Amino acid sequence: MNPNLSGLVAAAGVGYRQYKRGTAPVPERGVLVRAIVDACEDAGFDPADVDGFVSYGDDKNEPVRLMPDLGTRAINWSAQVWGGGGGGIAGAFGIAASAILTGQARAVVVFRALVEGNSGRLSAAVMAHHLNDHMVSSGILAPAQVCAMRAQRMFEYHGVPYELCEELVRASYYHGSRNPEAVAYGKDFDHDEYRGSRIIAEPFHLFDCSRENDGAGAILLVSTEMARDLKKKPVKLLSVAQGTEAGYGDLLENDVTDLYPTAGFRAIRERLYGTAGLTPADIDVVQLYENFSAQGIASLIDHGFCSYENVAEVVRFENLIAPSGKLPVNTSGGNLAHGFVHGFVTAVEAVRCLRGESPNPVAGARTCLLAGGPGAPTISSAIFGID
Amino acid sequence: MAYHSATGPIGAEGRYWDALLEGRLELPRCKGCGQWHWPAVWRCGSCGGWDHEWVEQSLAGTVFTYTRTHHPFGGTEAFAKPFATLIVTLDTVPVRLVGVLEGDETGLRIGAPVTGTIARTAFGDAQIPASRWRLL
Repeated sequence: MNPNLSGLVAAAGVGYRQYKRGTAPVPERGVLVRAIVDACEDAGFDPADVDGFVSYGDDKNEPVRLMPDLGTRAINWSAQVWGGGGGGIAGAFGIAASAILTGQARAVVVFRALVEGNSGRLSAAVMAHHLNDHMVSSGILAPAQVCAMRAQRMFEYHGVPYELCEELVRASYYHGSRNPEAVAYGKDFDHDEYRGSRIIAEPFHLFDCSRENDGAGAILLVSTEMARDLKKKPVKLLSVAQGTEAGYGDLLENDVTDLYPTAGFRAIRERLYGTAGLTPADIDVVQLYENFSAQGIASLIDHGFCSYENVAEVVRFENLIAPSGKLPVNTSGGNLAHGFVHGFVTAVEAVRCLRGESPNPVAGARTCLLAGGPGAPTISSAIFGID
Repeated sequence: MAYHSATGPIGAEGRYWDALLEGRLELPRCKGCGQWHWPAVWRCGSCGGWDHEWVEQSLAGTVFTYTRTHHPFGGTEAFAKPFATLIVTLDTVPVRLVGVLEGDETGLRIGAPVTGTIARTAFGDAQIPASRWRLL
């Protein structure tokens, strides 16, 4: 048995459909079927031969219900990462890889679908996963408020400048404005509009918060060996790690003091880089799940790109944009400016940027970190790479 | 247990709610190793003990962090906007509670000392017992 999955499975196809929230042309399952078929066509793979399905974040589309549309011959694997938020997005690739590498499935689609008319508002769904009487009796009803309290600690106690949020948001909009698929396409970032936007929960203004879209995304994972015979250049899964550590997550805000303002990734950082045999310095591009701007910054710190002390040197607009920045982040616009189907666009762009299909290409990029949903009780990240 | 949850199943903290209804803050300590557990547990993950004693605490502490909510999120109707929610580190035990700030907000910052009372929060048809805090 090979104890290291690095490089053994690959993303062979990508499908992504996005609409303004509340405007999907068909109900959720229909959008999802379309995205899965897109991914298979991208790979040159018959949808009927997909035999495994993995999702995260309490997705409601049980794979068995997809079978008639896809022509699925048999489902050999179906699973979902625990957790109501986006913490499981990268871990879903780990579950898919586990199935492929142990011979339990041959071609696995990782997916997420979200159409408001069917599943309601995502923020409400995520919160329903976590709500309790302690929180609601204190006026805490939304993920923004929980993340705001953690962000406040990072800013006020640990001295991370709040102004850095704007650097990250601006970089996302810079990339999104150049991406025809993005909600921010053709729109310039406006400093005054950002600063002047209404306050949601201090310290967050409106533009610090991810929006929600209708849509669905799917990525086809197969063995790297099989991927070499398909249409597109294989994008290998170099590493994936999911989990959490003692003293973090779903503890009525009683996390260990130093872990409280983090995004939760300290628990997996060593495993993540260790499996790939890489360090943060080896990462060419980052697709950063930012539910809220501050949590994106906390995630960059957790993943070792900077520290509380030097964060202002790294989280700078010029440093975060492609192709000139040293650490291009969210090259399609990310959740903030490309669109938000429970973060799936970050996984899609991880594959596209390594194929050279990004709207904001990073020349010569060989590794891409997919930093999963920050601040979730169970978190995950992955590293993708090309030969 | 007398308290019926407004939002979902209650874990091991039934006694906490019952005590709040009676106007006291009580928190659980493992009888085996003395560790305070919050959230409450059935089994102490440190020593494996199943017995806990609930000990009354005073509502005094310092602000660990906070947010002032401006957006009228559904379910927050009980509080006029904006309102500040605090995470408070209690003075007597290594436990943080969540509660809304009342009164003068001047001087709200991490580390600010606060004192609390027990009130009720209207949530739908429910009246949930809850801590309220004031800056000292």
